[in-house]
Amino acid sequence: MALLEVRELTTSFPSERGRVPVVDGVSFEIRAGEVLALVGESGSGKSVSAFSVMRLVPKPGHVDRGKVVFGGRDLLTLSVPEMRAVRGHSISMIFQEPMTCLNPVLRVGDQVVEAIQLHEPVSRAAARARTLELFKKVGIPDPQERLDAYPHQLSGGLKQRVMIAMALSAQPKLLIADEPTTALDVTIQAQILELLRELQRDFGSAILLITHDLGVVNELADRIAVMYAGAIAEQGTREEVLGAPSHPYTQGLLRAMPALVKRGERLNEIPGVVPRPSDWPKGCHFCTRCPRAFEPCPDITPSETVLSPTHSVYCHAVARDLKGSPS
Amino acid sequence: MTSERESSVPLLEVEDLRVWFPIKRGILRKTIGYVRAVDGVALTISAGKTLALVGESGCGKTTVGRAILRLLEPTEGVVRFQGQNLLELDPPRLRAARRNIQMVFQDPMTSLDPRMRVRDIVAEGMESFGIGANDSERTERVAAVLRRVKLDPEHLWRFPHEFSGGQRQRIGIARALAVEPKLLICDEAVSALDVSIQAQILNLLGDLQSELGLSYLFITHDLSVVRYLAESVSVMYLGQIVEHAATEALFSDPQHPYTQGLLAAVPSIDPAHRSIRAGVLGDVPSPAHPPSGCRFHTRCPKVFDRCPREAPPLFELGGRSSRCFLNETT
Repeated sequence: MALLEVRELTTSFPSERGRVPVVDGVSFEIRAGEVLALVGESGSGKSVSAFSVMRLVPKPGHVDRGKVVFGGRDLLTLSVPEMRAVRGHSISMIFQEPMTCLNPVLRVGDQVVEAIQLHEPVSRAAARARTLELFKKVGIPDPQERLDAYPHQLSGGLKQRVMIAMALSAQPKLLIADEPTTALDVTIQAQILELLRELQRDFGSAILLITHDLGVVNELADRIAVMYAGAIAEQGTREEVLGAPSHPYTQGLLRAMPALVKRGERLNEIPGVVPRPSDWPKGCHFCTRCPRAFEPCPDITPSETVLSPTHSVYCHAVARDLKGSPS
Repeated sequence: MTSERESSVPLLEVEDLRVWFPIKRGILRKTIGYVRAVDGVALTISAGKTLALVGESGCGKTTVGRAILRLLEPTEGVVRFQGQNLLELDPPRLRAARRNIQMVFQDPMTSLDPRMRVRDIVAEGMESFGIGANDSERTERVAAVLRRVKLDPEHLWRFPHEFSGGQRQRIGIARALAVEPKLLICDEAVSALDVSIQAQILNLLGDLQSELGLSYLFITHDLSVVRYLAESVSVMYLGQIVEHAATEALFSDPQHPYTQGLLAAVPSIDPAHRSIRAGVLGDVPSPAHPPSGCRFHTRCPKVFDRCPREAPPLFELGGRSSRCFLNETT
């Protein structure tokens, strides 16, 4: 059974031409203890999807439609206090820039203590002891001293570790990690990715990983959903999506990566740019840049084509290939 | 007729470059120490080639780029461009020399004046170097440069905000190309771009190099871009170069423990290999108080008793070099 089930999620923002969806009918699910990566370039709607799940979409954005079922309840129908109990208790979130979430004038240890006491009736001393344990667990050196440090006294990697400690303080069933390593240097990124891997193993939390970096995805994810312009293009296991990509966008993206191309050979270019939400085609959002686009693509939204029990793709051309081939 | 000589003389040679920033304290602003942002860097770029300068934040790679152009005044060293030491030039001759070396920055949104039209952004350098007889000739040249970077010359009179991130980076490149430089210093020039757009810009830089014979100093933290683009690589750590080698040699057989850790930390996109290892420990120390001896010893998995006591020089290893006692050649 799925831990989190997102169905037909649609989130819009106002524009000069009325409300425009930036997440347009997105469906995915996460099972207990697994890592799902929502991967896409800027403007793909991956972060807005995550914020929609947490009901933290900044105004004037608004979730228009869809269901976010977690623990048998649709989070979109909960009252504000009920939702607040879910956040931090069952679902926690870490962000790209930990500085935006840490209070600069409070000691980091006190901030984690406060988070623990918000969700559990424990004494300050007990919460502080637990914070120290968490600091050790996330690999903060000299944890006892660091409890009394202010955020600005910590490096980016250490701040991210404090954020992770805070997110784990309630032992959430689901951790949403929005570009958790994007602001970090590669040696620090490797440390944090190893930490997330260990924590997922030890705590059994599921992780919804939001990122643009296919390398980070490969290192951490069990399954991958590729997003383009507010919609899911393809989803499957890590091996399926990275090893045998089916959607022309996923294929194009992988061939554009310098890591896979020899020096002197040209990188694959995906022509043009991601259109703005107000300019999205009626049908497949990728059709304006797609090398395989044909008649139905601009007008008809592609439906799901199932390639394996775990691998599916939203593409008219792939559907036609399958229909055409006798199988 | 000079082509033979030019190919034997490196286009750019940097020797023992030092950029120290004073740390001042108190009401008298007394200097109490120095941040040794760049501390004895040497590098060489040949005509038509690409050297990558890689390292993590705070290693001083950006400062090297700026010091070469004297956008920051170096404390010491030699920056020889086509045989001429830029650090000894008086202001007018320095200005003239700068025409040959142009810079492309990471974020085109902050490096392009939002109130200027594309035509004026690209023509600004031409005007200051006296390229083009008059405004209309310069406009012609701007249109030609825009075509070269695959932007529509129709967009001459638009403002930067009317373009996408990738197009703005093309404008940044057009501005640099407008004065016909020989060397482009690209400081994280593709780092802020999405993968599909990054591919467009990397292809463009490759095309420009083969068409115009440009040299690049490519400053970046992104190792997959380095491997794709550069002939040789210098790895920086805390103000010093710790390893230099031809690109393939560096990636297939890294010598310095820092390079080894850096390469091991790069995520793979091959689903058959989950390969990263966090081999480099802890955080980068402050460049104001670099560790004694080898500056990397506090994070090095191979540290031994000599490392904190003695600073290793760059050991020559036959066409490559490494600043590690394990590579000591006697």
